[in-house]
Formats: sequence, structure tokens, C-alpha cells
Amino acid sequence: MSRIRVDLIEKIEGVAEVKYHIKDNRVDFAQIAFFDSRYIENILTGRVPLDALAITPRVCGICGHAHLIATVRALESATGCRVSKKAQTIREITLSLELLQNHFKWFYLSIYPLILNGANRVDGALEPSRVISEAIALIAGQYPHNSYAIVGGISTDITPIDIFELKDRLKYITKLFNKYIIDTDISEFSRCDKLEMMLSKSGDLPLIMQKILNNGWQSLGQSYDRFIVFGDSGIFKKGKSVSTRYQEHLDMRYIEEFKTPNSEAISIKYRGKFYETGPLARAMIMKRSLVKEAHRRYKDSLYTRILARVCEMPLLIQYIYDLIDTIDYSQPSWIDYKEFKQSCSGVGAVEAARGSLIHKIDIKEGKIIEYKIITPTQWNLGNSNKSNPSTAQKALIGNRADAPLELIFKSFDVCSVCTVK
Amino acid sequence: MKLLWLQKITCNGNAHSFLNYPNLTEWMEDFEWVYHPLLPSTYSLKEIQSDIKECDILMIEGAIDREDSLFLELFYRYANEAKYILTLGTCATFGGIFAQAKDSIKGLHFDKENRLDEFGKFWQKSISLPGCPLQPQVLAGVLNAIKEGISIPLDKMHRPKYYYAYTVHNGCTRNEYFEYKIDEHRFGELEGCMFYEHGCQGTYTHNSCNKILWNSVNSKTRAGQPCMGCSEPNFPDDDLWRTKKNMGIPAKLPTGVPKRAYLSLAGVAKAFKIDRFYHPLMEDESE
Repeated sequence: MSRIRVDLIEKIEGVAEVKYHIKDNRVDFAQIAFFDSRYIENILTGRVPLDALAITPRVCGICGHAHLIATVRALESATGCRVSKKAQTIREITLSLELLQNHFKWFYLSIYPLILNGANRVDGALEPSRVISEAIALIAGQYPHNSYAIVGGISTDITPIDIFELKDRLKYITKLFNKYIIDTDISEFSRCDKLEMMLSKSGDLPLIMQKILNNGWQSLGQSYDRFIVFGDSGIFKKGKSVSTRYQEHLDMRYIEEFKTPNSEAISIKYRGKFYETGPLARAMIMKRSLVKEAHRRYKDSLYTRILARVCEMPLLIQYIYDLIDTIDYSQPSWIDYKEFKQSCSGVGAVEAARGSLIHKIDIKEGKIIEYKIITPTQWNLGNSNKSNPSTAQKALIGNRADAPLELIFKSFDVCSVCTVK
Repeated sequence: MKLLWLQKITCNGNAHSFLNYPNLTEWMEDFEWVYHPLLPSTYSLKEIQSDIKECDILMIEGAIDREDSLFLELFYRYANEAKYILTLGTCATFGGIFAQAKDSIKGLHFDKENRLDEFGKFWQKSISLPGCPLQPQVLAGVLNAIKEGISIPLDKMHRPKYYYAYTVHNGCTRNEYFEYKIDEHRFGELEGCMFYEHGCQGTYTHNSCNKILWNSVNSKTRAGQPCMGCSEPNFPDDDLWRTKKNMGIPAKLPTGVPKRAYLSLAGVAKAFKIDRFYHPLMEDESE
């Protein structure tokens, strides 16, 4: 018996559609489609290079800051200029804050209700998100959609009083992490390598991880077990790993893009293969102990994927504390690069909340002639054929028709708006 | 009050910006989300699409492609039903960034500054809330006023005057440098005004960014970024980091200020060289 079921996926960034081909009550194939292309790459073509700093954050309302950082890195690699350690540190702080905010929102708005039968705990997303946005705005002017990272540094000078305010908010965010996610010291949690220890604490992380086990879902959503990370700054390391074999060297020339019918999204492969990007990929490459432990038991399942994302939160919090202590206020916030080169090209890679984000720019006679954006959702949620399915398609295929397919899909965290950029 | 939030060609930025409204949880006690793209809602998008649910206020986020007949049909169904229609953000209001991709993509009632007649029968009940993104206080405030039955004064583009009668310049911490015509500005510093060289559109952009601070703490211009006019009909203009000039004079002058008045004042200001404005703020003031 064969039938087709079409699911509209909402409460993600935008909407997506999954068309399930169901045969003998199992998912035989799943087609993923995104709509409403916005042609940002075309809109940038013909503009002066610096305009990209104002336009690309508007690709996405939730991860726009990662787009800004990718743009400024691409522009700086194109024209070649110096950036002070202070400016780089401050950019790392705001970028890490955005990742943290995305993790809270995804956990409470996308994942929590699906595991707890439609129950909601919206405050777990709203309260941390607002405070984190304030922390970013203290430096960057506003959130979302600022352009404070500029070629040569950052737009304004930063004083210790701004950072004191930021630090007080960070303390509050740490408390909220303990209040909502897991009630244990962040450094203790970062070192934790026993799932049972995590499960024995109180908080919504142990609650939903236990619920996944009780429902018997812990091994669902496995895919290729191939991971890739392009952004190498901060707490992340660049490289790819295929069943525990790690290779540091990556070459962007091996990235292939292809378009499939029925969807407006473009899918991505590296050397002819699909890879998973995002928190699970980052944890596997960095060999984070708790995530490795989950992976040993349940491989690259939705359980490991959800855990990997939450495990990034205390690391990010600690990283921001550490960065704050290294700021040397005597350094310049911005270094004059005199003039932007008339003809040049550059690449910027950054780890956004959902995974590797790459911007490429080509400039001739002072104008952008080509701008290319490759987003995490294109890596994870491509749409391919049955004989060579994308990472998310593979995770969906083979499941029973009544399995938590939406949860498997959302475990990758879908940014539809970035995909139809 | 029943609120229906529909999205079309958008980045989701207005939806996320609204989540930052302080005391959002308390605010929501008086409203019901018939549908919101992120928050728990009474109905799913599929249910909203398949039959008509009751709604008091229809909110549109994102630009609208006139070739998208499915969305237009959905829009008409709820626009007829709703007592008010709010266009959230610059894309829904004027077309914004995404309108630059295709001629058929526009704002609901405007294509840049040009009023369109297509949905003219809904104009009287429409309120324009531009901004990229929209400040959460603006949306929460307008909805509060509607709920309380308080009439909101609107300008001729139907923007609420409570928020859009101001310019972004009002309240900027850098505005002394503007007033005294100090045209030197370097990025990475606390001092200086971006109007003269670096494209700041704050003096002629209608919005409250420096009155109602962003995220309650700051603004782009305070943080040294030129205002890019993101709530104006022509956003985004070209060459956003550089001030366009005619014969050395900024091509666009502060709202309502005639060129003669501007030049006279500039001439007087420039006749004095006031030392304080050439000194870093963190150094001692000279006598």
C-alpha cells in the first residue's frame, strides 16, 4: 500500500513542506520543499561592497548577526586590512550571544512542545532572548538587524561601563540557564560525561531527554554520521569527521550546489557527499565528552542532536565570560584601511547557531559582481533523490508513518528564510 | 482581541523583534493569537488556510508578490473580516529590500512612496508600521490603543504620529556634533556625527529609535552606525555608508529645513571653532 502525505512544518523560521511517500506504513521517501525565494544574492549584485553590511543581516531575523559577521569577514579577506584584537573579541562576544539566544528559542519554541505533547513554556524562550538581545544591543546598537561590525573593526568605541552592564546580564542569563534548562553549575555541566548524571538533575533538559527515552525515540533520526564545520574561530574547530575519523583540512572548492525540482532551495554537497553541520557536528569534531557518550549509545540520532545543542549553551556562556576578561580597552576599535580595493574577492565562514555559514564576494571596479551565501539549512535539509538522500531526508526515511517525524525534522533546526535567501 | 499574524516575503525579523517587548507575557494576557509564526496560537497555519477563523486585527509581515494568487486569496478573506489591518515592517509597508528583486513584489498599499490602488478598499482601516525591523514598543502600543478604543493620529502614509512624527535624530547622543557642523567623523570612536560623510539619514528618517531606545538600552546611531533610513519608503538606497552631496552640500537635508536656512546656520556654526568638539570625550576639557 502506497500513499502520499504532505506535512506543513511551521513554528520554524518560515515554513517548509515535507511530502512523505509512505509504503507499507513506513516512510519510503521524503521530499523537502521551501518557498518564497528572496533573491538577496541578486539584490546585492551591482551595489558597492559595503552595502552588504546593511543588507545581509536582513537575510534572517534570528541569525542575522552571523550573516553580518560572515559578510565582514568576506569583505576583510577581499580587501585585506587589520582588525584589532579588541574589535575581534567584541565581535566574538556578540556572535556568541546570538548563538545562545537561538539555542534558547529553538529549545522552547520548536522542540519542547513536540516532546511534551503540545505543552508550552514560552517564558523559557522569551526571558533569556530579551536579556540576550539587550546584551548585544549594549555594544551593537540594536538587535535584531544591526551593522556594527564594519571593515576594519567595529563602529563605535566600547568602554568598561558597557561591558559591566553586559556582564551583569550574562550573570542573569546564567541564572536563567539554571532555572530553565538544567540546575547545575555551568562548569560542572560542561565537564559532565555521564548521561545518567545529566538525567538526575532537575530542569527541562533532563525532563525532555528522559521523555525521549520513555517514548523509545532515542535512536530515531540517524543519518550518515558525517559532520562538517567550516568556521574555525571561537570555541569551534574546523574540519570534518566521518565515523570518528577526523580531518582538519577543508577546501571550499569541493562545495557543490545543486537545485532540485519542486523546491526553491539549493542543496549542498562536499566532494559529492552530504554532511551534517551544526552543534552536533561541532561537538563531534571537538570530541565533547557528554555528546560523545550519547553518540556511542544512540549515534547521530535526534537524542544526540538535541543534547549537543543544549551542551553548547554553558560553553558559550563561559566563553563570553573569558572573552570579557581579555578586552584591552587601549586598543583601537577601528583601524582605517584608507580605501576599499576596486577589484578583489573574498570568503567569510562563520559558525551560526544552526551550523556553518559561508559568504563569498566578487568585486570588480568597485561593485559587487557576484555574492554567494551558503547556509546551514542548505547543508542539513537539502532535497535530493531516493538513491542519494540529503542528511535530513536520510534521517526521515525508514521510520514508521506514526513516528515523531516532525521532531526528527526539527531536530536539525530549520531556517527556511535562510534557505530561500 | 483576536490577532492574526500572516507572513509573506520576509526575514522573520519583525516577529523576532516583537518577542523582545518587555513584559510581553503580561501584555499577551489581553490578546489572543489566532495565529503567530513563533508563539503558541489557537490555530495552525493549515487551519487558518483551510477555513476562515474569526479575527479582529490582521497583521501582515513581509512584502507581497502580486503573482502569488494563493496568498492574495488568503489575504482577501481575512482583510474583509478584520477591523484593522497593520503592515508590520518596511517590507509589508513599502516593499523594502525584497521588492528590489522583482517588479511584482511590493508593499501592501505602497510601492516605495507611491500609493497603490489595488487594495484601496482596505486603506481606511490600514495602519502603516514601517521599520526594519519594527520596534516592539510601537506594535504593542498601537495594539493597546486599538484595544482601548483610543484613536491614533496618523500621518498621510497612515503611520501613527506617536511614533513617526519624530526623526531618528531626536535623542541621538551625537547630535551636538551635528548642530555645530563638526563634519569630521571616524568610526570606532564615541565622538562625531555620521551625517556629513558617512551617510546618516537620521535627520530625515521618521522613527523613534533614539526616543524609545532599542532593546531598552541603545540605538544604532549612538553605537556609531549611520541611520540607513530603514523605515523610509525608499529603503534600502544605494551606497549606504557615504553621504551623497551636491557641490559639497549634503543632497538630503533635515526634514522640513529649507536649503537656505541650513546653509545660513551652517555658515554661522562654522565661523566658530569650538574646541570641545575636537577633543576626545575621555580627555580633560580645555579651558
